[in-house]
Amino acid sequence: MINIPPVSIEFASLNFGTIVPMLIAIVGALVILCVDLINKKLDKSLYIMLTVLFLLVDLGALIGYSGSVRGFFDLMLVDGIAILSQGVIVVASLLFVITAMSKLRFQEYRYPEYFALYLFMIAGFQFMVSSDSLILIFVGLETASMCLYTLIAMHNRNNALEAAIKYFTMGAVATGFFAFGSMIFYALTGTVELGQISEVLVASNFENYPIILLGVIFMLGALGFKLSLVPYHTWVADVYEGATAALAGFMSIVPKMAGFVVALRFFEIFISSGDIYVEIILYVTVVLTMTIPNLIALVQNDINRMLAYSSISNAGFAMAAILIGTTQATSAMFLYWILFLVTNLGGFTMLWLNRSKDYNSFSSDHALEKYSGLVKTAPITASMMGLFLLSLAGIPPFALFWGKMYLIGSAVNAGYVLLALIMVINSAIAGYYYLKPIIFMFLKDPIEGANTKYMTNATTPIKVLIGFAAIVTILSIFMIEPLIEIISYYVQISGY
Amino acid sequence: MEHILSILIFFPAFAALIGFLVKDDSIRMYAILVTAIEFVLSIFLWINFDNSIAGMQFTEVIPMISAYGINYFVGIDGISLFLVIMTTFMTMISIIGLTEKRNLKHLIITVLFLEMTMVGVFLALDAIIFYLFWELSLVPMLYIVGAWGGNLRLYAAVKFFLYTFIGSLIMLVGMLYLGYVYFQTTGNWSFSILDWNMMLLPFDMQLWLFVAFFCGFAIKVPMFPFHTWLPYAHGQAPTIGSVILAAVLLKMGTYGFVRFSLPLFPDASVYFTYPMAALALIAIVYTAMVAYAQEDMKQVIAYSSVSHMGVIILGIFALNVEGIGGSIFLMISHGIVSGALFMLVGVIYDRRHTKMIKDFGGLASVMPKYATIFGIMLMASVGLPLTIGFVGEFLSLLGFFKVSPVLTLIAGLTIILGAVYMLVMYKKSFFGPVVHEENKKLKDVNGRELAALIPLVALVVILGIYPKPILEPVNKSVSQLVEVMQLKAIEPSTKAKILEYNSIGEVKHD
Repeated sequence: MINIPPVSIEFASLNFGTIVPMLIAIVGALVILCVDLINKKLDKSLYIMLTVLFLLVDLGALIGYSGSVRGFFDLMLVDGIAILSQGVIVVASLLFVITAMSKLRFQEYRYPEYFALYLFMIAGFQFMVSSDSLILIFVGLETASMCLYTLIAMHNRNNALEAAIKYFTMGAVATGFFAFGSMIFYALTGTVELGQISEVLVASNFENYPIILLGVIFMLGALGFKLSLVPYHTWVADVYEGATAALAGFMSIVPKMAGFVVALRFFEIFISSGDIYVEIILYVTVVLTMTIPNLIALVQNDINRMLAYSSISNAGFAMAAILIGTTQATSAMFLYWILFLVTNLGGFTMLWLNRSKDYNSFSSDHALEKYSGLVKTAPITASMMGLFLLSLAGIPPFALFWGKMYLIGSAVNAGYVLLALIMVINSAIAGYYYLKPIIFMFLKDPIEGANTKYMTNATTPIKVLIGFAAIVTILSIFMIEPLIEIISYYVQISGY
Repeated sequence: MEHILSILIFFPAFAALIGFLVKDDSIRMYAILVTAIEFVLSIFLWINFDNSIAGMQFTEVIPMISAYGINYFVGIDGISLFLVIMTTFMTMISIIGLTEKRNLKHLIITVLFLEMTMVGVFLALDAIIFYLFWELSLVPMLYIVGAWGGNLRLYAAVKFFLYTFIGSLIMLVGMLYLGYVYFQTTGNWSFSILDWNMMLLPFDMQLWLFVAFFCGFAIKVPMFPFHTWLPYAHGQAPTIGSVILAAVLLKMGTYGFVRFSLPLFPDASVYFTYPMAALALIAIVYTAMVAYAQEDMKQVIAYSSVSHMGVIILGIFALNVEGIGGSIFLMISHGIVSGALFMLVGVIYDRRHTKMIKDFGGLASVMPKYATIFGIMLMASVGLPLTIGFVGEFLSLLGFFKVSPVLTLIAGLTIILGAVYMLVMYKKSFFGPVVHEENKKLKDVNGRELAALIPLVALVVILGIYPKPILEPVNKSVSQLVEVMQLKAIEPSTKAKILEYNSIGEVKHD
């Protein structure tokens, strides 16, 4: 007879505050669903604004958070990194959801479920970044991914379904990888908490090293899929092309932010103990991720696809920070990603505004030729797109330059001069393909009789959004200082 | 007076923004006024410039990213003063002489933005701010070449952009590393050039940092073998683009060598004297020969630019006051002369829509005033005494004579070869009978063109006869630069070399 002791938990010991931000998002999603139950004829703008509202409250709960670091049976870990990345995730989602205020009616926005799923997804990502238990990370990851697959599939196009299925199938494999990796580490150490895994591994002096390495490779496969690291990046361009430009922009920022935090927590175990093999694997992955998509992007004729490959390469850049592993590098990663968020928000939203329902004149939605001579027909649109492209190319003083500079600086300071040079060369290669749309827009003549319409999808809220992104991109030099201060504060209190 | 440098930098940019609101038919007058005000401001700066101070004046510091030691830090000394004046002057002149009609408003706004970046480069004392302006200057130039250029303009613009972009990115790594070295030695971050000048760097570190900065500067200059973008850019650019490119943008590279490479890496500078001289010599002789073979007048001047930039590099790496001072003078005079020559080619291109030498002949009888001005500029370009071109070239070569008489002799070929290709071009297009029917009715230079060209001619002659007002403040700052180099050199042999190069009187050899 085994006497199972009765479970008695004090409510206070749960540290309920740790999951309040996610709960707000979930409640928001449920509210949207309930509202739809009561009245089916409501306009999409209500749902968008409800989403914005709940995300704002979510953000408020985050900023005001002063509770304990651990909660819910130690499953939750709300350290500086968690708060910071949740902040980025929520702000990014907030900005990207506004793009749904488009003028053209796309069918997915007519379903309130779209916005409910959106909020569920945010909650998933928030769980993912604020835990160091592999199981909770897994739950968060799957919640978010499932929602994302559905969001893509709701877009009413053939290639959207193709994209969703492709993403789902590959995601399923990644899920398997994650489960396998977790299993290996559980078998080796008897725990699923990254902190304890680290302790056990270090204490045992990395016993059973080949198996550990196998686990690392499985985890790299799982995370690599989420972060679109080479060679797990093959889905990116097709999925981005199938999804709407707005959702593609979202996918290039938010899921990766969540992925980076998990990667940071996981690889920290090996980087901090100076594991040569893992470092080599990461080094190779980072270099390949920066370089190969960059080369592929050179030959793209569709701006959406080009930006897709460019964001893979940028993920490689940010991943380099995890490899470098210093405090400065970790801060640089967040700085880079925040500036990348602003720039990509501008870039993809510009594409989104120029989306039209018929695109028969050109090979694809955002074919380069479509933008020929844009400066003559729509100078402000062209200038805005040019601005975001220059920022992506890393031309100072526009936003992403400071991110690149700080990141390359952190590589140089940590003694990774070769890596810094590879980054620099990649920036130069990238300069070429970012220049291509600029050449089409500014230096070529419009195609006669092409009947292209621009800004067909524009509404005032989206224009304001673009204006916001543009102002931040131009005046970023004045924002770097406070940003770095905030970021390094949060990074330092969580000990990275 | 305190903010005059910032006003100088940002006035053209603000003017450009406001320029969007000016109606198309008035934009020319607006641009002339703006650039004239900018020029007057720079003259005002010169009047208030204290010639007795060798160091930086009018400095202004505003913290930007203090956690990382990046400040908005500007200042001026004898070296940059005249480069700034030359920039504002040449921009004004090129706007006065502007004949482009397509999309005039865009062009003028772009040029005004370009002026901001050019002035910014010469005034920045913080490496990151320097880099900011340096890199930002690519964008308006890309647009000028790409939107108003010739048939191959897209190729030329992209080549120009990518070439210089790659070089400067490598330079950026060097800058970030230097900032880090400063952090390690002092515990504080700083990207200020003046702070960096206080630190002593180990020899091998100097070597690779020199190479990193070289990538940025040499491509911009352009030095052989990185010069291949220049003939394309010049060949395709509209007149105003060529004028600004030759007059100012190329000088950024040589200025970078003087401002960064020499004082920061004195040992590496001495170590690389001969390789640098070799590249400069190849540029001088080889491109002069290439210039001779050109059939396009603009290409002749483009290649002659590369050749003359070689002389400037040679002067800089003489590492003595005569050489460096002379090369700075040559930067200014080459700015004026080559700018004028490109403008003159522009004048004839406007009338005939061709720049081929074979399409002309006997122009001197049809356009006497034009031929006279062209002749004077050509003489200045060749380096005839009593013209502005002579002073700098002479001093640069004199400076390098102390380093190596033999190499100087080879470099002296520049004067002969320059005379050859320039005079041949002049003979073919200006003398002899008028063969082509179209050329018989060509109009001579008009009032506006004269308004742009006469000041240049006057400067060429006046400064050729009396260069002292420029040479004196330049030499003051250059002497200080050489002192810094000597103080900072960590190898005794370097100190000895710099001392030897700067010795007065007879040249000693081991």
